[in-house]
Amino acid sequence: MKDARLSNWQWISLVVLRMLIGWHFLYEGVAKLLKGNWSAYGFLMESKWIFADLFQWMAQNSTVLSVVNTLNMWGLVLIGLGLILGIFTRIAAGAGVVLILLYYVCNPPFVGLFYSIPTEGSYLFVNKNIVELAALLVLMAIPSEQFAGMDRILYKFLKES
Amino acid sequence: MDEKDKKESSESPSNKKIDRRDFLQGLAGVPVLGALAVAAWKQEAYRRAIRSQRAAGSAAPEKEDDLHVALLGVGAQGDVLLNSMLKIPGLRFQAVCDIWSNYNLKRAGNLLRKYGHEVNTYEDYRAMLDREKGLDAVVIATPDFWHAEHTIACLQAGLNVYCEKEMSNTLEDARRMALAAGESGKLLQIGHQRRSNPRYIFSHDVLLKELKLLGRMVTAYGQWNRSAAPDLGWPKRYEIPLATLRKYGYESMHQFCNWRWYKNLGGGPIVDLGSHQIDIFSWFLGVNPKSVMASGGTDYYDKSTHEWYDTVMAIYEYETAEGTVRAHYKTQTTNGSLGYFEQFMGDEGTLVISESANVGSVYREKTKAPMWDRWVRKGYLSEPKLMEMTSEVDMGDALDVRETISPDEHKLTLQFYDAYHKPHLENFFNAVRGREKLNCPAELGYESAVAVLKVNKAVEAKRTLFFDPQEFLV
Repeated sequence: MKDARLSNWQWISLVVLRMLIGWHFLYEGVAKLLKGNWSAYGFLMESKWIFADLFQWMAQNSTVLSVVNTLNMWGLVLIGLGLILGIFTRIAAGAGVVLILLYYVCNPPFVGLFYSIPTEGSYLFVNKNIVELAALLVLMAIPSEQFAGMDRILYKFLKES
Repeated sequence: MDEKDKKESSESPSNKKIDRRDFLQGLAGVPVLGALAVAAWKQEAYRRAIRSQRAAGSAAPEKEDDLHVALLGVGAQGDVLLNSMLKIPGLRFQAVCDIWSNYNLKRAGNLLRKYGHEVNTYEDYRAMLDREKGLDAVVIATPDFWHAEHTIACLQAGLNVYCEKEMSNTLEDARRMALAAGESGKLLQIGHQRRSNPRYIFSHDVLLKELKLLGRMVTAYGQWNRSAAPDLGWPKRYEIPLATLRKYGYESMHQFCNWRWYKNLGGGPIVDLGSHQIDIFSWFLGVNPKSVMASGGTDYYDKSTHEWYDTVMAIYEYETAEGTVRAHYKTQTTNGSLGYFEQFMGDEGTLVISESANVGSVYREKTKAPMWDRWVRKGYLSEPKLMEMTSEVDMGDALDVRETISPDEHKLTLQFYDAYHKPHLENFFNAVRGREKLNCPAELGYESAVAVLKVNKAVEAKRTLFFDPQEFLV
């Protein structure tokens, strides 16, 4: 694999990136689970832009909302574990991209859209979500898990058997 | 690192067997996961410690000056008081009473047990007073028309009482309460909680009395704006049987939940909301009002279920040592903009204060007032926020020579971000322990009730009503 011939420094920086994103996902999930009564209700109700009706419908339907809450919390945990341990890494990164894309289109920082959820910075089109999404795309494109991650063992194990 | 190492470590897994390097690099995420687990565990432990610290008292071993407390009425307001009291150390909750036995009573009982208080629950307050021995104090948050009976019975049973405002919906009952407190020798604190709020005490004691920042006070204004809201509902399966409701003076579940709007049960928004703020007028101006005129009505809601006025405007006149002060009070329950606050205006400055933690400023009248730099340096006030002219707000053409320049705004530096009712309850419990004097004893609560209840009478009379100074005496 010609394109996989990266220097150790390049591999390590990718692995660090993956673990930082994994940490972020995992703790977001764990914190919500520990809170006990966390709900996406507020975030969904704040939705702006063309999918606002859909997200608000999700918030107002209690069955759908509880499914959304569960999927989000456990999705964050599993994606985080996948990225930190480097196991099923591409699947985890891909799922992360989908999840972040949902957050992004729910409340996109477009011209003229305002939110009552306080944000800590100033964003226009690009926010931290979209940067994290792009970083996950990099991790999908370059298999850092084959340098450091359980996938490396898994891959060899499958080849051996 | 030599060429061979580099090749092995950096390439995607070779076809060789799983070796040591594969293991080490394969499990690189495990220590990271461990670090996250430790960090998350510490964070969670910290969060729990903070939470149990806030719910002080329950688990601690009993101390000599711990007080045994009962709650009478644990609806919306009782709940607010209960949550404030859970943050006060040294209280032992012993009993809870509420006629909504399978809802409010259950909820409060469960909450207290969760915090380690062994409480008995009662539907009838008389049973509670009969059976509970060793109580020091009762906190009453029942509807206004019950206050007199509950308070007097508790005082006669030898208990100190914290009773929510309004003292009562009738002055005769309020007077009976004050007299009962005097006869029993027990304490009766009325729930005008701003009287214990450190920001209000500072504004009154320091800014107005000591520094006289406002100069000669001329007008006051107060408002409480609330958004339109539907009537309060209730879960159908927890409905109180009609016979029980009637026994306690209600005609229906709707009336039980929305008693504040009914004549004979409550006093309407002017009493629920206005009494807090009209009480501040008298406190800050140092005198009781001389007269009141008022306009009000049920203009928005259904008159059959909202007997009391949803909108009221009242104008009081006060005769202070320095001269007449006119005060305007407004309560509106159909629009919440600008919220609630009180405002006092003198020839040297304006004070805007609210129970709401982020509202509290004084404005200096530049034309007359001396500089306030001293008070800024002493830390009483913030640096002034000056009106800045920016290109966006170019007032060049708009500024009229007849307009006076805008005053400087100084924020109060004293902050108070705790539960609003906590200091007033603490004052009460410390008074029971003999360490403080009540900030709002029955006589003061009575004066406030006299001033406030007359607004509704003035609305009906459609003319100015005057107060006889004797009226304010119990």
